Amino acid sequence: MSQGIVCTEGCFIKCKNFFCEHGQKLSELLHLCSNVIEKISKGDTRQKIDIKVERYSLQRLIDSINRLSREIEDLINLNHELAIGICEHFDVLRRLQEGDFSAKASEDSPIEIVKMLGELINKLRDRFIDYIDKIKEQHREMVKIYEQERVILSSIGVAILITEEDMTVEFVNEEFERLTGYTKKEVEGKMKWSDFISEDVLDKVVEYHKLRRISPSLAPNQFEIKIKDKSGNIKDALITVAMIPYTKKSIKSIIDITERKKIQEQLLHSQKMEALGVLSGRIAHEYKNILTGVLGFASILNNKIQDENLKKYVQRIVEAGERAKELSNTLLAFSRKEEISVTTKVSLNKFLVHYSDFIKSIIGKDIELKLNLPETEVLYEIEPTHLEVILLNLITNARDAMPEGGEVILSLNEIYLNMDYQYTHPLVKPGDYVVLSVSDTGVGMDEETKQRIFEPFFTTKPKGKGTGLGLSTVYGLVKRYNGHIHVYSELGKGTTFKIYLPQKIKKSINSIDKEKLKGSETLLIVDDDAHVRQYLASFFKEYGYQVYEAENGEKAVEIFKENKDKINLCLVDFVMPKMSGIEVKKVINSINPNTKVAIMSGNPVNLKDFITIEKSISPEEILFKVRTILDEKE
Amino acid sequence: MADRLLDYSGLKCPYPILKLSAQYPQFKEGEIVEVIADCPTFEKDIKAWCQKLGKTIINIERREEKIKVTIRI
Repeated sequence: MSQGIVCTEGCFIKCKNFFCEHGQKLSELLHLCSNVIEKISKGDTRQKIDIKVERYSLQRLIDSINRLSREIEDLINLNHELAIGICEHFDVLRRLQEGDFSAKASEDSPIEIVKMLGELINKLRDRFIDYIDKIKEQHREMVKIYEQERVILSSIGVAILITEEDMTVEFVNEEFERLTGYTKKEVEGKMKWSDFISEDVLDKVVEYHKLRRISPSLAPNQFEIKIKDKSGNIKDALITVAMIPYTKKSIKSIIDITERKKIQEQLLHSQKMEALGVLSGRIAHEYKNILTGVLGFASILNNKIQDENLKKYVQRIVEAGERAKELSNTLLAFSRKEEISVTTKVSLNKFLVHYSDFIKSIIGKDIELKLNLPETEVLYEIEPTHLEVILLNLITNARDAMPEGGEVILSLNEIYLNMDYQYTHPLVKPGDYVVLSVSDTGVGMDEETKQRIFEPFFTTKPKGKGTGLGLSTVYGLVKRYNGHIHVYSELGKGTTFKIYLPQKIKKSINSIDKEKLKGSETLLIVDDDAHVRQYLASFFKEYGYQVYEAENGEKAVEIFKENKDKINLCLVDFVMPKMSGIEVKKVINSINPNTKVAIMSGNPVNLKDFITIEKSISPEEILFKVRTILDEKE
Repeated sequence: MADRLLDYSGLKCPYPILKLSAQYPQFKEGEIVEVIADCPTFEKDIKAWCQKLGKTIINIERREEKIKVTIRI
């Protein structure tokens, strides 16, 4: 039986009988098998042996070779699919990495993992495109805001400049160009902020600039300076400074207040005239009353006297009276503007005594005016009308704050402000000061109002009642004497204005030695105002005292009961809801009669048999007072 | 005249196509690249690669066991 079959290589095998396979033909078949295996090993899986033989073992070998070829072919195909998939995804990732977001991986691979990798790359790409779109949108928004801000900064009617840490000017707006006469080109990146400052205020500005970069709270946000323009002209300006977040740069807005200063001068003048008007009106009224009597009786005398010689004298009296009457009318004449140089040495003690007599009739019967003067005479070089304007404004304000009546206390004392005070009040120079204070027991004011009271035209009074210029005039006047004003106010309790006027000759009598203020005693501070309480507590702690705090009388009694042997002194607010300061003192002293209790008040109070502390005095003064109480001097 | 000649003779598939993919980022667009290999399945691989990446096969030349494929990048 002939089974001649052509193999894929074209060789021909004859296998007519069983025995022939042991001869030459078997060797040919084995040779063929080796050739096919070799080609398969090189990756050519097209090789197959398409021969049927009778010998079982031989046929099994041929079948195995063919199966091996198929198996290897499958493996090679899988390998190639994987390789092509990797190559393709590799290329897509490369293009994405280069920013070509049109690249997209195919998701049609028969191999699941390659297909999933393609899907993952595409999702990643889509997410990326989303992010980029969002970033682009944000960028567009930022550019818009930046452009808007640039336009606002450029066109705003206030001069703006941005300075670097070394004072180099980075940006100026159009208004700055108008204010200084320099162009943007001349200034930006080329000039320093200090180039625009008048020499007499340069040190102060440089110091603020440095302090602000240490901590913004070390320098005031707003202050007055003098700007030097391109022509060398000096302009008064009000500057507001803020640090730009995350940088050492600051932004300054400058308002030219040269004109405003002139207006302030005018306002001051008109206020002075107003005060003089009140004074002269009062004097004229009093004089006229007196003169009515003098002239009336002189007239009667003139009629009754027959002796011509005596009549002459009477007529002289009448004439003199008429002249005095005319003079009283001239008191209503306008006051002329005078320079500050025309000052006189005024005894403030005497002045306040006289002035309080005069002002009593103005403030009304419901209000009690008290004077708190030192024993020693305090002399101060000042224009008396300025003093009158200050007092008139403060006292009338105090009166208006007490529609139901109350108490106005006029106080005078001298104090030395040391370097420590300057850290918290950078614009105040250390030295001797005369302190003139006006306290009332009126409605008080909140923090927001307190911040604005010196602003021109700011008023809390009903329309037509206040011009809003009173306190700004006071402020301006005090500033003219290089003084400053401290305002302490508590809602519902009252307000204290303290005018600090610098003494020309330095004294150190009132200087308080910081070391002498320290102590280790335990204090209990009772105040319903958390700010005041915490402020006092932190201050006492800083000076070594142990402090307990209570927000009301009940809490204070509770703390005191627990620590009655430890607490040396209780500082209790005078006016508190539920339990008053006096009641708290009574309860504390019923527990321990030897415990010292001082009553604190926002205004100067004089309570018989009670130790009192005025909260509006400086922290050093409070400490001094506490030290005095603890050392049993009071 | 080709801009680049890559000889992958002696390398078994799919190494030649993986090597080509790895070298491809250095190629410039429009370059003519000649690739020589002697693996019998390389022709199938490079055809699939060109199709997937959108490259053009300019010429395929077979000499004995070796194959030279010219492509435009």
